[in-house]
Amino acid sequence: MKKLLAVFLTLAMLLSIMPAVAESAIDTSEHVKIVYLVTGDKPTNRTDEVLAKINELLTEKINAELEFRWIEWTDWQTQYNLALATQSGDIDLIGTATDWLDAWPNCQKGAFMPLSEDMLKTYAPMTWESVSEAHWNLCKYNGEIYLIPEDNYAQWTNHGFMYRGDWAKEAGLENGVHSWEDLGKYFAWIKENKPDVVPWDANGNGSSYSPQMAGGWQTSHTGNIAIEGFPVAIFYGESKENPYTLSRYYLEGDELVNFAKEMKAWADAGYWRADVLNYTGDVVAEMEEGKTGAHQHHTQTWTTERTTMERKQPGSDLGFFWFGEEAGNLISLNITHGAMAIAAQSKNPERALMVYDLMRNDPEIYHLMQYGFEGDMYTVDENGLFSRPDGFEDSTDGVSFNFWWGRNDNLEYKNAQLDWDAITKLYDVYNQVKIDYPYGQYIYDNSMVGPMMDSLSNVYNTYMPRIVFGMNDDPEALVAEFRQALQDAGIETVMAEIQSQMDAVYAK
Amino acid sequence: MQNTAQQKVVNYRKPSVGRTLVQNRTLIFMCLPAILFFFVFSYLPMPGAYIAFTNFQYNKGIFASPFVGLKNFQFLFSSGQLGLLLKNTVLYNLAFIILGNILQLAFAIMLNEVASKGYKKTAQSIMFLPYFISDVLVSLLVYNLINYDFGFISHLVRNLGGEMPKVYQNAGAWPFIIVLVHLWKSTGYGTVVYFAAITGMDSSMMEAAQIDGANAWQRIRYITLPTLKPTVIILFLFAIGGILKGNFGLFYNLVGNNSMLFKTTDIIETYVYRSMMNSFNFSQSSAVGLFQSVVGFFIVLGANAFVKHLDPDYALF
Repeated sequence: MKKLLAVFLTLAMLLSIMPAVAESAIDTSEHVKIVYLVTGDKPTNRTDEVLAKINELLTEKINAELEFRWIEWTDWQTQYNLALATQSGDIDLIGTATDWLDAWPNCQKGAFMPLSEDMLKTYAPMTWESVSEAHWNLCKYNGEIYLIPEDNYAQWTNHGFMYRGDWAKEAGLENGVHSWEDLGKYFAWIKENKPDVVPWDANGNGSSYSPQMAGGWQTSHTGNIAIEGFPVAIFYGESKENPYTLSRYYLEGDELVNFAKEMKAWADAGYWRADVLNYTGDVVAEMEEGKTGAHQHHTQTWTTERTTMERKQPGSDLGFFWFGEEAGNLISLNITHGAMAIAAQSKNPERALMVYDLMRNDPEIYHLMQYGFEGDMYTVDENGLFSRPDGFEDSTDGVSFNFWWGRNDNLEYKNAQLDWDAITKLYDVYNQVKIDYPYGQYIYDNSMVGPMMDSLSNVYNTYMPRIVFGMNDDPEALVAEFRQALQDAGIETVMAEIQSQMDAVYAK
Repeated sequence: MQNTAQQKVVNYRKPSVGRTLVQNRTLIFMCLPAILFFFVFSYLPMPGAYIAFTNFQYNKGIFASPFVGLKNFQFLFSSGQLGLLLKNTVLYNLAFIILGNILQLAFAIMLNEVASKGYKKTAQSIMFLPYFISDVLVSLLVYNLINYDFGFISHLVRNLGGEMPKVYQNAGAWPFIIVLVHLWKSTGYGTVVYFAAITGMDSSMMEAAQIDGANAWQRIRYITLPTLKPTVIILFLFAIGGILKGNFGLFYNLVGNNSMLFKTTDIIETYVYRSMMNSFNFSQSSAVGLFQSVVGFFIVLGANAFVKHLDPDYALF
């Protein structure tokens, strides 16, 4: 009898708890709007139509809808950081990245909301499950998770040069361009044989060429590994054998001088226009019109540009020379090259996480977002390859969510129109030499040497464009001057600080 | 009778503030939009200048962010560039102010001397137009005129058998180009201001001078210019306060990141932009702005005192 009573009482207690449990389930009674901050030009295609459909689904599932806030490409760095700094609950989801969108500096300035494990487990359960603990650890600052990584999407964004395979053949480069030396030969051939073509028409105004070109030569001629997250691109690890010692490439040694000399020779030979530093033209369009022979960007761009070029310049056989190829120096993409964060001032962080969880993992929503309406805008064949209908123009018929913060290979369709033979061939080469990004756990703290870092930034932006585009009379003297200016700006102090910060993370 | 007049003078007291307000209510009402404008856009945000002394945290706001004293100002002084930047900024502004005012005065007087009303209006409008062209477009125009490989002027020079210099690699040419572009853009605007002042002159003076046999030069020298003196001085005083502030749009668009030209074209704004573009530090850029404003404030005070010393009537305050 006693036992029975005990059981009965326990049951009664359990029952009284039950409603409480039910109540703690997610409350979605209020309809909310989640604002998604994303880089890109406001689309002129069918994005709004698709968004309306997605919002229908979101309302049905979690009583929320999505709204875009575009950071257009004009002056995007400033606009992006400004939007983060001036947030007042007007944005919820923020597309970010540790290498090209200053995720960590913004995190240190308090732009993002820390995401507790409970929050993630409750509101983004599918994402929580799919990201490994090791990957979550790479998204932590001061022990708290701030970013949700795009860690299940294979892509390569290592930089290099796109060149025309047909012209390379004519230039005597049977196997294409595979070194800086080949590239020089290729440009020389164009200069000689194609009087109306600028071998490489660069728009040097967008100073981004400096780190790519200088770093490109560096990784091709040394084992140095770039460390992300600095305002100036002069901090590299020594090599994959010795990654946690800073390289002194920019302070001493001959390679930088060799680079400066070679670029001076190229400039004198007229491989780019004399006023490259002030030119702002659309260089991709020029390549597609056959007016320039090369374009400096990354692998991912090449994969789609190859198809476009084949259409606009049949037989062009667009190839890709990747920086680091000569030295076999290639680093896998950091998983936070794309990541989603929740705005610090967001009023609905829970619902924002729920929306993200569906964007990333719900097949219906994911496919709408990435490809549009099936049948109407694309079809999928039995091999899981998707095709666009004839005459499809992305700028009018496509859909642009610019969702680069949680793409998911489990749900991706490969594009049937891309040249997968060529792409796979290149990826196979990559896979043989690649190493993992070694600095995932290191987050640079700018508070100690900030003013010096700003001075270094100015020195770099003053000298590097002149080195990269050979705008000088004496490259050797210019490099010496550059190195002296770095010293005067306090490079040794800054490097000592970074070294000690890094030692604290990767204690030997 | 005399007695009462004296009485009145003795009884005269400075009117109270309230009385002044009531008496001049119409004038004050007319000023209200301007007062509101300056209150909202210049005085209300002033406490925010505190950001220059903090390590700004987005989630805490300006006033809760940690106080760091003068640390943010350190950057400008420790860079070793301040001398060059100040020199460039001030010299360009002096060139803009002096040349600009001379040109504007000259054009206003010339316009005034032109008899044909239609010509006057057309000339004014055409001169005014460049003021509305954005710096971005101006920079494209300049590039397409003088770039070495495909520029319009380059083609012309080459077709005439000349040798085109590489202007975008020649720092020495840019002070002239920038001043020229600035004058081209701003002369029309300033001309209208002076022209308005001339039109407002008492025409009976001119007629009297004409009857007395003064020729055009004499009329300009002895009537127009002296009448314009207060306008010139006021505009000068206004301009001098901004002598440490560069026209970022103009300089950045024309020069961009072309470091070949920095020696002669780098002003405080462009330097700050270049150094902070990557680190995006509000506190430091505000510190620079505050520095410019405070120095500008004292320059205005100084210039005003100087004018007062010469002729108290022309001083602003």
